[in-house]
Amino acid sequence: MLGLRELIILLVLFPFLAGGLLSFFPNRKIHTFGVMASGTLLGLGAFLLIPRVPFSFSPDLPGPLVPAALVEAADAFLLLLFLYYGFKHRRPLIQLLSGTQLLLLLFIPFYWPAPASGHPVFFGDRLSLLLVLIISLIGPLIVWQALPYLENHERHLQLKATRRHRFFPVLLLFLGAMNGLVLSNDLRVFYFFFEVTTLCSFWLIGHDRTAESVNKALRALWMNSLAGLILLLALAACLQNYETLHLQEIIRGSSAGAWGLLPLALLCLSGLIKSAQFPFQNWLLGAMVAPTPVSALLHSSTMVKIGVYLVLRLTPALQGTLLSLGLAVFGAFSFLAAAALAVGQSNGKKVLAYSTISNLGLMFALAGLNTPEALSAALLLVLFHALTKALLFLGVGVIEQRLDSRDIEDMRGLYARTPLTALIMVLGILMMIMPPFGLVLGKWMALEAATRNLPVVLLLAAGSALTVMYWARWAGTLLSQPFSGPFSPEKQPFLTWTALTALGLGGLFLGVSAPWLYSWLLTGAIVPEIQLPYTQRGGGLYNSYGAFAVLPLSLVALLGLGASIFFMRWARKGNLVSPYLGGLETENPGIFRGPLNRPRQAGAKNYYLSTLFNERRFVFWFNLTAVGLWLLILAGGW
Amino acid sequence: MGRIFYTALGLLAAPFLGGLLVGLDRILTARLQSRIGPPLFQPFYDLGKLWGKSRTLVNPWQAFGVHGYLAAASIALALFGLQSDLLLILFVQAVGTLFLVIGALASGSPYSQIGAHRELLQVLAYEPLLLLVPAGIYLETHSFRIVDLYQGGQPLLFRLPLLFLVLPLVLTIKLRKSPFDFSASHQTHQELVRGILTDYSGPYLCLIEVAHYFEMVLILGICSLFWTPGWAGQILLPAAAFLVTILIDNSSARLNWRWLWGAAWGIGLPLCLLNMIWIVWGY
Repeated sequence: MLGLRELIILLVLFPFLAGGLLSFFPNRKIHTFGVMASGTLLGLGAFLLIPRVPFSFSPDLPGPLVPAALVEAADAFLLLLFLYYGFKHRRPLIQLLSGTQLLLLLFIPFYWPAPASGHPVFFGDRLSLLLVLIISLIGPLIVWQALPYLENHERHLQLKATRRHRFFPVLLLFLGAMNGLVLSNDLRVFYFFFEVTTLCSFWLIGHDRTAESVNKALRALWMNSLAGLILLLALAACLQNYETLHLQEIIRGSSAGAWGLLPLALLCLSGLIKSAQFPFQNWLLGAMVAPTPVSALLHSSTMVKIGVYLVLRLTPALQGTLLSLGLAVFGAFSFLAAAALAVGQSNGKKVLAYSTISNLGLMFALAGLNTPEALSAALLLVLFHALTKALLFLGVGVIEQRLDSRDIEDMRGLYARTPLTALIMVLGILMMIMPPFGLVLGKWMALEAATRNLPVVLLLAAGSALTVMYWARWAGTLLSQPFSGPFSPEKQPFLTWTALTALGLGGLFLGVSAPWLYSWLLTGAIVPEIQLPYTQRGGGLYNSYGAFAVLPLSLVALLGLGASIFFMRWARKGNLVSPYLGGLETENPGIFRGPLNRPRQAGAKNYYLSTLFNERRFVFWFNLTAVGLWLLILAGGW
Repeated sequence: MGRIFYTALGLLAAPFLGGLLVGLDRILTARLQSRIGPPLFQPFYDLGKLWGKSRTLVNPWQAFGVHGYLAAASIALALFGLQSDLLLILFVQAVGTLFLVIGALASGSPYSQIGAHRELLQVLAYEPLLLLVPAGIYLETHSFRIVDLYQGGQPLLFRLPLLFLVLPLVLTIKLRKSPFDFSASHQTHQELVRGILTDYSGPYLCLIEVAHYFEMVLILGICSLFWTPGWAGQILLPAAAFLVTILIDNSSARLNWRWLWGAAWGIGLPLCLLNMIWIVWGY
């Protein structure tokens, strides 16, 4: 058995090393082997970590290497790199943000001398473990699928020399940094990994090096640099207020101090930016210029989950504060606003992006509500959102390479062209909105937990209706005419199918076993002595006021789905006719006799209600509202 | 065990109840329009006739949609019979409409496509109201489970009158009654023919009707929760809601989706909110 030290090295340090090594070998076979092997090792490491939690751990470094100084130097190096990019691309904002951070970084240890050490650098409980499992199991699947994807991508772009050694190493680095981030207890270490994820997303979004992608990457860089700056300010405030940088201690000993909860408010705000909440949603929307696996990674298992993790981690310290209430209202608002903007989109990737922002909003709302019920819902949502969103993004990636389009209108009748991919997308969409799948279980818990808070429940109810609208529309479009006849799955690379089926089946299986998973997960997550609000009985979850029989309902739902598919296949043998076109049908399906008896193609497009749910019309007001709510959160910290 | 038996019985009875209600509706509507109208059992004759026709579809995925709709509607009603969690029941019920929409979008006919999108707009209009009903009930009774509503106390109607007023509005939209019948009007001589139902025929249309009866009985069942326990009120309240719906249907012309949305969110949501504020801060 590996010791804790070796495990952390495997989960955090090893991806850095593997990535660094791979960046020197652009060869395809070496890359395939390296990526497959590191992914497997990461997954194994995550599994081996399961019996180890909860734990606290400090690495003992040899002689002259002082951890604090080492981290400080690494931070400074990263900031210099950002500064370099700021000057290279002539972005004063990035120069300003990273310059300020650099000054603060030098200034902090001078003004607030580092407290005596002896606290664990790493800390893990079931919350960290959940995140590690998501990062190290879903992450590698996405990275594996990226192997065939990038081959296609580079062929399509007709690159002279491959750039895969600028891609896969960064993906691995990203996973390592994420693991480090969710396991670190020392905020200085946390800040380092935070900045590494900023760097990785900057590199990945700008991977294609087109003018557009560089622009979007720089936007992500300045927004996330702002998050870094706020985090650094939070560090200073923590030192001033609590005289410590150890997360667990801060959570336990908060509420005291001259600045009240200000450090915690700043931590939450930096998390909100990382999670692309209003008004900083643009960096995530821009990120879709990158190759699709990058989006899948950013949206599901990495980056945007940082904010949710951080806020969930802080919830014990926020109980019953105005800050917590502000977060709840902000999150619910974000849930509704992003869903409304998603309704107005026909760009599939943008729908997914807004849906991510919306779901993250829901998680923040739950963290803000801060009851055991709400936190249960949040944990389930974190897990199932990661699974489902990864599946949907990978599906869109496959479709995009096939159709050369990401527009939902172009996916009309996709079932006839790529039946299996279309079905997997439909499965993903059903997993988003159909009970008893995990996300809906989470949403159900969320609504029941939110009911005592009227503004929140109102926003959530309205947002749920909008959510159903944009998903149902998409699923129907995929299965639209023409129909292809017998089902024959299309050819796709093995790794693509592996990733898609693993995510789909994993989602189904975990969804059915959610009641057990829930009890296991919540015991010892966030606070060690948390009371389980729901009890598991016969595969269902029950509390004093609600009941959701997950397992029985799953069986009935699967039966219903199976029967529906059986009858669909049976209907094939029935009488198939051409659609009704007002009595003007011709022998060609979909063609009608138009004016002067000319044949005309019949067609209808989806409702996007773009006059109402218009980005240009609403974004300003949404951002303005969000700024107001940010100020509320900040005021809650004072 | 008894509850399971009654639920099974209820599931079998629901289509008959729904059919009878529709027959009654047709007679009442005819009388309001100075016609005699069809016999009470006409809906059953219609169903029988539809069932006997040949299986004709445009796209086999329509059949997937139909059966998914039927499954979800019956599961939702079964959960209601088992006196389970009201919010969960509404979630399951919403999935039924989702399948109906998927089925309608599977056809290439513009009538069916536009009908499906209009149905989604109808869902958008009533879904938040419907979700706030269990929320309001929870605020009053501290439970989402129907079984707890039968524990005595005064009828919910006295505490949640505004929330109950929202239900006829939901019912009008859900039953596609005028003025909100714009995803599929009962009169076929209008711009969308039969809207979302255009490309369904024969046994498939029959199943959609049956599923629709399930949904109707479910919503009326939710109306009945406002007078528990007590038999008279439990029958009277849904009957009143149903009657109001028929009267509105016969005295109004159809409106476009902005009106629909405005009515549902502009009138319905404030009503829910006012009632909930009263419950939370009223004591």
